[in-house]
Amino acid sequence: MIQTKNLTKRYGKFTAVDQVNLNIPAGEIYGFLGPNGAGKTSTIMMLLGIVKPTTGEIRLFDEPYSPKRLDLRRRIGVVPEKHPQGMWTWMTAGEYLQMFAELFGLEDSGKRIDHLLERVGLAEVKNKKFSEFSRGMVQKLSIVRALLHDPDILFLDEPISGLDPFGVKQIRDLILEENREGRTIFISSHILSEMEKVCQRVAIIFSGKLMAEDQMKSLLTTLAKDREIHVDLEELPADLAAKVKTLDFVQDATGEEKTLIVKVPKTGDYRKALSKYLIDQDLVPLSIHEKSLSLEEAFVTITKENINLFAGIGGEK
Amino acid sequence: MNHRAHATTVLAKRRIVETLISPGFYVAQTIGLVLAYLLVAGFVRAIDSSGFDYALNPAYELIGRSLVGAFGATFVEKLFSEGPFLFTLYIAFLPVLLYLAVSSVFRFGLEKKVGALELITYGPADGTSYFLAALIKDILMTAIYLVVLLVFLLIAGVLNNLILGPSFYSSLIILFFLSVAIYSYGIFASSLTDNSASAIAVFLGLILFFIVIMMGSFTVVSGYVRNLASVFAWIIKWISPLFYWDLALRVVQVGNWGMYLVGIALLLVLSAVVLLISHLTIKARGVRS
Amino acid sequence: MKVLRIAAAALLLLLCTGVLFADVPVREEQFIYSILAFNGRDYAGTFAREEADTIYLVADVDNFITVRNVFVYFWPITQDWKTDTSTLNVPFEGTLELGGRQAEPEKLGMTPYTYYNIRGEYELNWKVAKEAEAEAAWQHYQGLMDAYWRSVSEYYEKRAAYEAMLNELTITITRMRNEGKDVTALIDALRELKAPPEPQYPTEYIVPPVPVQKAFILNLPVGEYQIRFFTEDGQIMEGSERRIVAFEKRRAEAIGLEVIPGDKWTRPVESKTPASVLYIDGSTDLYIRPFFQQEYNDLFYEKMRKNDAKGNPTLMKWVRIQQVPRARVEVTRPSLESQMVLEEPFYVEQVKGAALGYQIVPFDPEGKHKDREPSLQAFHVPISKDQRVIRLRVQDKEGQYLPSSQRQIRIVTPSRIGIVSLILAVLPLAVMIIVMARRSRRYTS
Repeated sequence: MIQTKNLTKRYGKFTAVDQVNLNIPAGEIYGFLGPNGAGKTSTIMMLLGIVKPTTGEIRLFDEPYSPKRLDLRRRIGVVPEKHPQGMWTWMTAGEYLQMFAELFGLEDSGKRIDHLLERVGLAEVKNKKFSEFSRGMVQKLSIVRALLHDPDILFLDEPISGLDPFGVKQIRDLILEENREGRTIFISSHILSEMEKVCQRVAIIFSGKLMAEDQMKSLLTTLAKDREIHVDLEELPADLAAKVKTLDFVQDATGEEKTLIVKVPKTGDYRKALSKYLIDQDLVPLSIHEKSLSLEEAFVTITKENINLFAGIGGEK
Repeated sequence: MNHRAHATTVLAKRRIVETLISPGFYVAQTIGLVLAYLLVAGFVRAIDSSGFDYALNPAYELIGRSLVGAFGATFVEKLFSEGPFLFTLYIAFLPVLLYLAVSSVFRFGLEKKVGALELITYGPADGTSYFLAALIKDILMTAIYLVVLLVFLLIAGVLNNLILGPSFYSSLIILFFLSVAIYSYGIFASSLTDNSASAIAVFLGLILFFIVIMMGSFTVVSGYVRNLASVFAWIIKWISPLFYWDLALRVVQVGNWGMYLVGIALLLVLSAVVLLISHLTIKARGVRS
Repeated sequence: MKVLRIAAAALLLLLCTGVLFADVPVREEQFIYSILAFNGRDYAGTFAREEADTIYLVADVDNFITVRNVFVYFWPITQDWKTDTSTLNVPFEGTLELGGRQAEPEKLGMTPYTYYNIRGEYELNWKVAKEAEAEAAWQHYQGLMDAYWRSVSEYYEKRAAYEAMLNELTITITRMRNEGKDVTALIDALRELKAPPEPQYPTEYIVPPVPVQKAFILNLPVGEYQIRFFTEDGQIMEGSERRIVAFEKRRAEAIGLEVIPGDKWTRPVESKTPASVLYIDGSTDLYIRPFFQQEYNDLFYEKMRKNDAKGNPTLMKWVRIQQVPRARVEVTRPSLESQMVLEEPFYVEQVKGAALGYQIVPFDPEGKHKDREPSLQAFHVPISKDQRVIRLRVQDKEGQYLPSSQRQIRIVTPSRIGIVSLILAVLPLAVMIIVMARRSRRYTS
């Protein structure tokens, strides 16, 4: 759906984006991660045609993309991080959406507007002035606006920033629902826990360079140095950890409250062997599960490694 | 209809509605019309058995003396030869012109800064359609106000047995096209800068510069100052909308309507050139602050 | 009280003594160009001092320039520069080099000249005579004047003789009557005695020829030129370089109106702009005098008249040239037929009694105004407040309407009805309130 080849953006002597190669397949929820100043915004701006790349190529829907390609831009919907403050406050929600519907040349847009408002739970406030909307309502309205013209790709920049838990869930559900309908979703967010819940594929950018790009599970598995099996027990004997350590497949074992944490090699399934051992010890495992690396941990790992790398060579780029 | 024209139309409609439901335009109109009323009423009070004598009304005495001091007695004589309406036209038009021009410049800078321009361009619109929409709005509002002002002055004339002379009508028409050029310079100033304050400063600075150069070659000061102003004027005149305005009014005095229309055409050409430069500037600088 | 009076007197004296210490204008000896320029109406003099870099002249007419050394000073009361020729006035003889008319600069010598205006139907019959013709014109005028003064002398002699005869006859008649003698013959003789006719002043000229003088005569087409002065020994006079701007009228033969209100007859106003409207309060009649006018550049014309004057370089001004001879004014009032008004003489009579004031009445040369001259000749336009518009148009002696001579007179009086305008002026605010209220009601949360 979206590919970039050696995408670079320089502002004077400063390189904001350095030879980034992205591959965003159709129908996926794609997460784009990076700390502040990593080049995330510059990359997104280039993908949206707002900023011109210094070098490199962008392909959209398998065609070379430039801001002049309106036919391609019409297939993108964008939800920016913040709705422009103070803009269009004199309009009602309906009027606001109607304006954008007209911009896209949509005919008979009334029904579509009503349908989308219904989906996000804003149908009752269609005739309410924009200025009276809460942050969450504005965000939802922004998503409706981006969906009006039924785009193939939806770009979301910090879609849940500043929302309450209920709002977060609503947006998450909406994203998942849109994806189920075949829409490609591109999300940029700092809230990694949410990204982990919705994204199927992620890319991590740091200091203008693409550090990693892979399916979520593969990325986490690749980055994990080892595996942990967590066993919840009714009671945790004090010497249990030491005993478990003696097993040949156990690299390390510790106990936390009523949970036994066992480090095992990355390959192989040791849950059965461990369960058998515990049962032999007259212990009843209440639950046994493998804890994988979280996205946050993976993110920190990748970027920390790079910080160390850069620190090791004196911080020079 | 091509995409830019379509986007311009959609955005222009909204801007027009927004202007018509906001108080600013009405307040500016009221200020203009009240000034017009005061000037017409003052003129009527400054008439005696031999005609208009500005010394008979305190406000007009101040105006008259200032204008004579700056531009000479001939200027004042011509200004009031057909009655009060020529002077009133310019004074009454000023509040609305300033309101529309400055508010558009301010809005453009503000909208660019908060990302509204960027948001619009995510769709099939661009910075050019955005500013063209503002221009269309300003032009339409100007036309509305000029009609309102004309009707108001006609009524004031009937009530006071005053008439609107040929100079008034020729000035009314050229004022419309002059305002188009001024709005174009407002857009140009907005395209050059990143925020409202800078845009307003650039815009007002430009217009003031044009006015000073024009007045410098118009005033009755002698010697070095006038010579300097004349040199500047010769260079600046090609890009100054006031130069084409003055040209059109001067040729119409001798009944040269052909050149008057040329003056109007040149104002439109100047506006188009300034808008083209603005378009290229926005394209090069982007819509992001 | 006495002290106060003394103090006041002392203060007054002190103020007056200030005059003794007032600044005397500084006179500076300067080389100037003395200019006698034709301004469309007549010849008027000005001068270009050392600091003036440009001389302005009307194109295609004879203008006269001389070079002299005079005292120049700035007179603060009238804020202009003046010359003191009574103390110093040294004319220079030499050559004037004129550049810009031909490929090579020309050398002009001083030419004897005179100028005069011959009386005719039109006021302006200016003639310039040069060289021998100048002397001849002057001599002709001198001859006329000599003849006139001779006839005046003769008249006085004859008058004296007449009065002596009259006196003698009167005395003789009286004596003879007293003696009871028949005086019929003497009375007949008295009746037949006629006073000698007064000699007529020569009427050939409106402006008689001036004494023949020498000057550089500049008759230049429109354009810019350069001059500099060479003394008799062929040396360039330092600081004599000047630019000359020869300009012409833009439009001519337009008609202006001199408007004399009945209550301010000594303060007429002029309606020059062709489309102008005369707004008056209708309190008095008007007396109109149409004149021909020409349009010149404001700055050029003012500086031609007075080199140090200020003017507006981008404006054109109408200059009154001369009255329209034997004109007729068509006066049209609403719902009435047009009237043709002719020029008539009028007399200004002081109002009798203690009240100050005057009234303008038709001149009655045979009656109450015998042996007097009319105060003004004009076209009388009666004004009444119920006639809101009066239209004027001027015809020449052949009955042809003169271009740009149409004018409107409108009677304007302040009235309460003007408050309607104020109400209309705030109407936009009412519209605003209605619009905002409707929108608010429509979208109340």
